Amino acid sequence: MKRLVPEKLLTIIADGALEAKLTKLAAKSGVSGYTVTEARGAGSTGVQSGNLDIDTNILIKIILPESRVAGLLDELERLLKKSYKFKVFVSDVAVLMPQSYERPMDEDLRL
Amino acid sequence: MAGLQNLLIPAVLFFALGYIAKLVRSDLKFPPDMAKALSIYLLVAIGLHGGHELAKADLVIAMKSILVALGMGFFLPLAAYRILMMSAKMDRLNAAAISAHYGSVSAGTFLTAVAFLDSAQISYESYPVIMLAVMESPAIIVGLLLAAWARKQEGDQAQRESNGQNGNGHLSEILRDAFTNGSVVLLIGAMVIGAVAKPSAFDKVIPFIDEIFMGVLCLFLLEMGLEAGRRANEFKRVGGFLVGFGIGMPLLGGAVGVIAGAMLLDFSVGGTVLVAVLGASASYIAVPPAMRLAVPEANPSYYLTLALGVTFPFNVIVGIPLYQWMAERLMSA
Repeated sequence: MKRLVPEKLLTIIADGALEAKLTKLAAKSGVSGYTVTEARGAGSTGVQSGNLDIDTNILIKIILPESRVAGLLDELERLLKKSYKFKVFVSDVAVLMPQSYERPMDEDLRL
Repeated sequence: MAGLQNLLIPAVLFFALGYIAKLVRSDLKFPPDMAKALSIYLLVAIGLHGGHELAKADLVIAMKSILVALGMGFFLPLAAYRILMMSAKMDRLNAAAISAHYGSVSAGTFLTAVAFLDSAQISYESYPVIMLAVMESPAIIVGLLLAAWARKQEGDQAQRESNGQNGNGHLSEILRDAFTNGSVVLLIGAMVIGAVAKPSAFDKVIPFIDEIFMGVLCLFLLEMGLEAGRRANEFKRVGGFLVGFGIGMPLLGGAVGVIAGAMLLDFSVGGTVLVAVLGASASYIAVPPAMRLAVPEANPSYYLTLALGVTFPFNVIVGIPLYQWMAERLMSA
């Protein structure tokens, strides 16, 4: 296990309509990249069935060095205070080749 | 009644099947993205068709149709907002978000009306197709303005300041998204292609846009029936006033559309029914994501339940024959 280096994994669950807003914010805050998958689920505000665009959730995963987590969380918290609805959580992961999570991505890259 | 007879068309029956399947908790389910693929086909087909017809159309009537569509797109959300604010329980931001949906249009309802008119052998003008494309976006702008005004009224200083920070970029982005929404681009693009394509080449795509159209519409409405039926158990959550609004507002919008179609545009009964459907229907494609971004304070389950669970089924089953009746009454008067 010696080769593994600790990093943070930030996961966001949001409605698909927020994808561009959230990924742009992540890119601006200097993350090296992100992965988006479609998701469905249910909660206190209803069902996100994934059948139509209007009720499809997304899962955004970002691996980043601990030093950058606070900055990104501040930005996300600002959105939450403006009543945007999404969930964020941070967990510990271990990665190979930590240097690939250091270089910020190009801000203009869009899916 | 002839109107009820005309409901016995496969597309409407498939909608009912989907709705019932959800009510009896069937596990019937479409593959992911199927509805999206079907609606792409339907927009292309209706766009090519409309564009081809419009190439032969009168430019003055076309311009007039666009103006009437813009007028309805701006007026209807304001009317909806006034009605919603009559309830003491309704807050301004939810009212703004819901209003935007009712000024915009539902292509699914429009296509059902086309199928209805075809089966009743009532002819209709092609101008309402341009109106369908035009009316997707103005209501979003009205919704944004109403929401901005609502925030000001509620005196939420902090909110205004935080919005001000990235203010204009945010607003212009939402407006750009409203006008470049996929369904608007596809519909207008297909209309232009239908209008400029040379007739001999256009004939080759007719089987694709004509022969299978009603079959695809059946599948699409089956899926929409499932989606509408799934929302039936949300009625309790949104409450009686809003469910009543989801039925009353299309009646008002339909009446405005009948008057606009018959008196301002001089359309036939068929064309007038289509304009009425544009006035009566509520968007469930372009507006919900715009409102999630622009009015995050509003509760999405209100506007989605109303647009898809109440107004869409109401228009498909009751509204369309009712607007036909209204158009006939107005014209014989």
